[in-house]
This record gives sequence, structure tokens and C-alpha cells, in this order.
Amino acid sequence: MSEENSALDDFFSKRPPAAEMQTESHPLGIVVGGSLSKGLDVKLDRSAVVEGMAVGRYVVVRGQTGRRFFSIITDVALDSTNPGIEKAPPDTSDPFLAQVHQGTSTFGRLEVSPMLVLDRDSDEPKPVKTVPAHFAPVYEATEEDVNHVFGAEDERHFYVGAPLDMENVRVHLDLGRFVERSSGVFGKSGTGKTFLTRTLLAGIIRQSSAVNLIFDMHNEYGWESQAEGKHKVKGLRQLFPGKVSVMTLDAESSRRRSSKVDFEVRIGYDQIEPEDVDMLSNMLGLSDVQIGALYYLRRRLGKSWIEKLLAEGEAGEEGPTELDILLDEGKLHGGTLGAIQRKLGMFRRFGFLQPRATEDVVGKIMEYLDREINVILEFGRYGSTLEAYILVANYLTRRIHQRYVHRKEEALGREMEEPTPLVITIEEAHKFLDPSIARQTIFGTIARELRKYNVTLLIVDQRPSGIDEEVMSQIGTRVTALLDNEADIRAVFTGVSGASELRQVLARLDTRQQALILGHAVPMPVVVQTRTYGPELYAEVGHVEGDALQEKHRKNVHMMQGDEDFEGFD
Amino acid sequence: MELQVGRIIRSSTTRFAVGCQVLRPQVPAFGSLVKVPAVGCDQIYGLIHDVRMEDDPFVQQVAALDSPPAEVIEDQRRRQVPIEVGVLVVGYQHQGEIYHRLPPQPPLSLDVLHTCTSEELVAFTGQFDYFRLVLDNRDLPADEMLAANLRAAAEARGGGGEGFRLSAGRELARLLALDLYRLDAILRRIRP
Repeated sequence: MSEENSALDDFFSKRPPAAEMQTESHPLGIVVGGSLSKGLDVKLDRSAVVEGMAVGRYVVVRGQTGRRFFSIITDVALDSTNPGIEKAPPDTSDPFLAQVHQGTSTFGRLEVSPMLVLDRDSDEPKPVKTVPAHFAPVYEATEEDVNHVFGAEDERHFYVGAPLDMENVRVHLDLGRFVERSSGVFGKSGTGKTFLTRTLLAGIIRQSSAVNLIFDMHNEYGWESQAEGKHKVKGLRQLFPGKVSVMTLDAESSRRRSSKVDFEVRIGYDQIEPEDVDMLSNMLGLSDVQIGALYYLRRRLGKSWIEKLLAEGEAGEEGPTELDILLDEGKLHGGTLGAIQRKLGMFRRFGFLQPRATEDVVGKIMEYLDREINVILEFGRYGSTLEAYILVANYLTRRIHQRYVHRKEEALGREMEEPTPLVITIEEAHKFLDPSIARQTIFGTIARELRKYNVTLLIVDQRPSGIDEEVMSQIGTRVTALLDNEADIRAVFTGVSGASELRQVLARLDTRQQALILGHAVPMPVVVQTRTYGPELYAEVGHVEGDALQEKHRKNVHMMQGDEDFEGFD
Repeated sequence: MELQVGRIIRSSTTRFAVGCQVLRPQVPAFGSLVKVPAVGCDQIYGLIHDVRMEDDPFVQQVAALDSPPAEVIEDQRRRQVPIEVGVLVVGYQHQGEIYHRLPPQPPLSLDVLHTCTSEELVAFTGQFDYFRLVLDNRDLPADEMLAANLRAAAEARGGGGEGFRLSAGRELARLLALDLYRLDAILRRIRP
């Protein structure tokens, strides 16, 4: 084999080793100071154009010992050898004076944050634990370097986008790790959160890293939806027929959008527990006393407590009802009851709630999930009613989580097969994970317990500052589009070391198709130009349409029937 | 072309003085590079920082006249007291190598001082280490002298020597980073 190689080398002439090839490129500058905690200061070389630098880009610092420090630009600054030059600038209308001063008395400075180190003879990037010495040369990272760090696409790795100004380099997300812990997609509205989420979900579904349950508030994931540029984009069900099932709370809306729905979700009043209503306490304005009363009412009135409460609101009852008796007994204050009835009156407007359950929705969803079919729950018109969204999401998640806990424990006890990892996608997550309720709600529990029971969250939110800090610190991977509120930016970096330098990067993202990914699923923080959710992605996940579909059809026919002029063997 | 400037009348490690009888066009010129043979090395290089004519009692008397006779003025051109040329030592050559340092020994008196050729000027100004030796002399018009020398060196390179001016300017900007007014003054004197 080696002989063969050398023969080829003779023929093609030997390729220079990679390291040698790279040193030929001109350094951007040299390291002049800094620290591991605060990042390195790099004085830009005269030949480097300050305007050509951008936060979020990668550079490689070559250390003395052959180590290469893979770093990210976190700030670009102007500096001078003498502060006096700012007060009395030279006459730069003279090109000679301008040329002399440029890069000598005045120069550009970069702040770069070292992230990973590549040892001379090791292929695996390691977290950085030291800094390169003074005057170490800094180079722009080559495509080869970046590819090296972000690995190749394989079963676990999914292509999510390209680093800034490197169209040919692919950044891959380790989906196995992505679903291992709860993750978040953040960004203010209009920055493409939904597209990002849809791309990520498409990756998870294609690579079967986990099975998804998506609470689709705005009906954007299942079937076709309109992008802002007026063109239509395909939903996950269209891309993965047979692997994605759409359920709806509002069959009428789904029909209008000609979304194909497998199942209409109906929840019975008798299935709702006080815990489900508790979650809405903030929104409904239920006081602690009223919440206490809910639990009491459930105990006294039994399964049909809500039905009885709501019926009471309507006139025309005969004789003393159970509620009247409770009031007479003095167990319940009339004002409290009135308030509860008034507040729960909202349930009447929710068409998906009915007095008695006819089907076991949770069982149905579990059935799909067990068959590794992803479930998207469309909210139709109820998506605009936050109470409905939270009620249903909480209702279903609590019960599904319970079953997962049960199964996982069983699996541990009897060495049975573990349940397939489940990722639950929720939008407007700060409403579920508000610091005042995150500790009690099921979503807070799931986020905190990591993957103990094979259930994790994919949080989609535009206001991360509204999310409980403890929950935020447990988010493994954060995919963040532009955020400009200071509090939100701070929140995204909760529990991330070296976050202060990355803030600049985040605040400077484009409003569209750019995202900062950091955390568990990437070896180092990365700013990507996110891949377009469109035909290329459709094709990659195995979706064929149009000419390609015809071609596939033709090939299949050909396989079955042979060439047209084939007349047989004899 | 090498021209004789004069003979050394006084010398030390850092500076020396040369006496010459008459001024010719371009010789001696302020800021030009000159050389003199020396004992411990091939030759010593210097920059002309001063050209001085001392008076004598006779000149003072003639100067007081309203219109001195032409033959007296003509007679004064062949002076008894020589014109004195001050030279600042900026380096030396030893075994063919040019060093921008002070020589081990000063030149001897009555040694002959010559101007340098364009080639020698180009070779000597190939590096800028001698800037410090010039700029440190605050009692001399050091900035003017260096600027004159750099202009000559740029011309000697042909085509205006823009690249040379630029790299010299950058070296000056590095050395004089803390004195921007001085830097600005020199840069303006050497710009193309």
C-alpha cells in the first residue's frame, strides 16, 4: 500500500504537508496580551484590513509548541501607540502621512477568545486551558481548520449552516448530544426562530435521534406554511410522510389550511385535574386561596368537578346543588367560589374541551410515540389564546412525562428496553418557565432533571430573560438568533463560562439567518449563517418532488420492466 | 562620484570636524553621507551637520566697508582660516560589512574626508539602525539632518524612492511614537 502511495507521489509530485501550506498565508497580526479568562489581545498587522474583521469569525493562533489555538473574534477595536494622536491627528489628506501612520502609530486590535486547542500531533480538539505566548502569530482560520473542529456529517451530525464568510464550510450539530439535554432556540421575533427550529426538528426526525412532540402554537410545523417572502415552505409532515403525525385542537382551521390531520384532540372536563389549572393561576389571576379551593373542590365534587362548577354558573338549576351545600357548611367562601367560576368560565370557549372524554388522548399520543412517529399538535385558532396553549401543553406533558417515568423505572427494574428519547417542543416557553412557577410545573421539572427519564425540552422563546435562571442554566445547547435586550442577552449566557466576550457577538448578529450556537452539541460557540429551509434541505432529508419525483418513478419502472427496446433473452 | 571634502582638524568618537578651503557646488552639503578611513576599521561614516566659516580680524574690517573692493572679496575666497565642516559619526565599515554603531576609534587628524557615491548611500541606508544615533543629538539640527539624508537616499534609489520613504517614515513613527510633533515635522520633510 505504501509503495503504491509513493508511486502516485512520484507521478503527481508530493503534496506539501498541511502545516507548511498554511504558514505561507500572511498572519493577521500578533498576540500582544490578554488572559485565558478575558481573551487575547491581538495587534493587527498593517496589511490586515480592520473593516474586514467581524466578530464571530474564527482565527487560529499558532503557539510556540506547535499547538494551534482555535479562537473566535469577540471584539474589533482601534488603538494607537500614543493617545495624543487622537487629540491631534496627523494630516491624513496627505497619502504619504496616512500610509506611514496606518498600522504604525495607529492600528487595529482584535479581542479573541481562545476556545479549543489542537495539539501538534493530536487530531482531537480539546478545551483550552492556557494561552499562547506573546507575539504568537494569528491567522485567519482556514476551511480545513473549521472542518476539523466541527467534524464531518454522519449519522449523529447534522449540517446546520456555514460559519460567517465561509460558505464552503459546514458546521455540524451533534444531534445525539442536542437531544440529550434540554435545548433552546432564542431570538426576537422575526429573526427566524421558527425556521431554525424546523430545520433542527427535521434533522432530529431524519436521524431518528429522538421522537418529537411538538406543541405547534401557530400551525407552522405540520403542513405548509408561508414564509415571510410569500413563498410556501413545506411542513415536517410533507417531508417525512409516515414518520410525522399531525393532531389538531381545531379541526376547522386545519381543514381550511388543507393540513392533513390524523386525529382531533378532545379533552374531557373530567380529565382535568387541579394541577392543570394551577399552571394557569398567573394568567387567570387565581389567588393562593382560590387555588387551595380548587383542590378542595376536586376532592369534594369528584371527577366531574369542573362540569359542576361551570354548570353552577348557568341559571335554571333546581334544588340545592353540591356547591350550595358546601357554601352552607361554611367550607367555601361565596366570593372565592364566584371568582373561580368566573375565571374557569373561559373553558367554555375552548371547543376542544367537552364535558366527558370519549377518548384517551394521552394514550393515543403515546401509541404514536412508541411507534417512533413524531407528533405535532396544531392549535388552530386556539394558538392565539395563551391559556389554551398552556393548559393543553401542560395537561399532555404532565401525563406523558408520568408514563415515561414509569417506563424508565420499569426498564431499570426489569432490564426492559428503555423508552425512545422524547423531545417536547414548546413555544413561548417563558410562560411555562416563569421563575414564579417553574419550580412547580412539569416543564421546570423536565428541564432540571436532564435526561433522567429520557424526556427533554426544546424551548422556543423570544424572551429568555423571563425564564427561570435555574432552568436556563440547565439548557444544554442554545441556538440564539439576534437578541438586543440586555436582560435577554444576559439570560442566554446564564451558566456559560466566558460569556462576557460572546455578548458582543450576539448583539451584532444579522436579523436574518444568523445564529450563535453554543453549548453541549457543538465543540465551541459558533456563529452560523443558517442553512436555508428549502428544496436543498428537502432533498437531503429524502423528500422528492417535481422532476426528481418523475425521474425516481422512471427509474423504478425501468427496474421493473427493463429497457424499452429490450426484447427478451431469446 | 567620490569628491574630497577636506582634512580632519579635530575628532572624537562621536563627531569630528574637517577643514576645507573653498565651497564648491554640492560639496560639502548639509545632511550628506561622508566617509573617512580609520585605524580600527575600513572606514567611518558620518553625516554633515554643520558648515561653518569663522571670521578673522581682517574680514571684520572689510565687512564694515560700504563697498569693499572686488579683489579683496576675491582674496577672501581663498581663506587663511579654513571653512569648518562638522560631521556626526553614524557608523563604520569593517571587512566589507556596514555597522550602524560608533567605531572603536576616531579618525586621525589630517585624514582626508570624501563624499560617498550613490551606491554607498543606498547600501548604508538599507537599514535604519542609525536613526537613533542621529535623533539622540538634541543640540544639533538632528531632524533636519536626517530628513536631508533620507531625501538624498530616496533620490539615489531612483523613481522618487517612494517605498524607501514609506519604510523610513514607518521606522520614524515607531521611534518617535511618543513625540508626535517632532515626528510630524520630519515626515513632512521627507514626503515625496
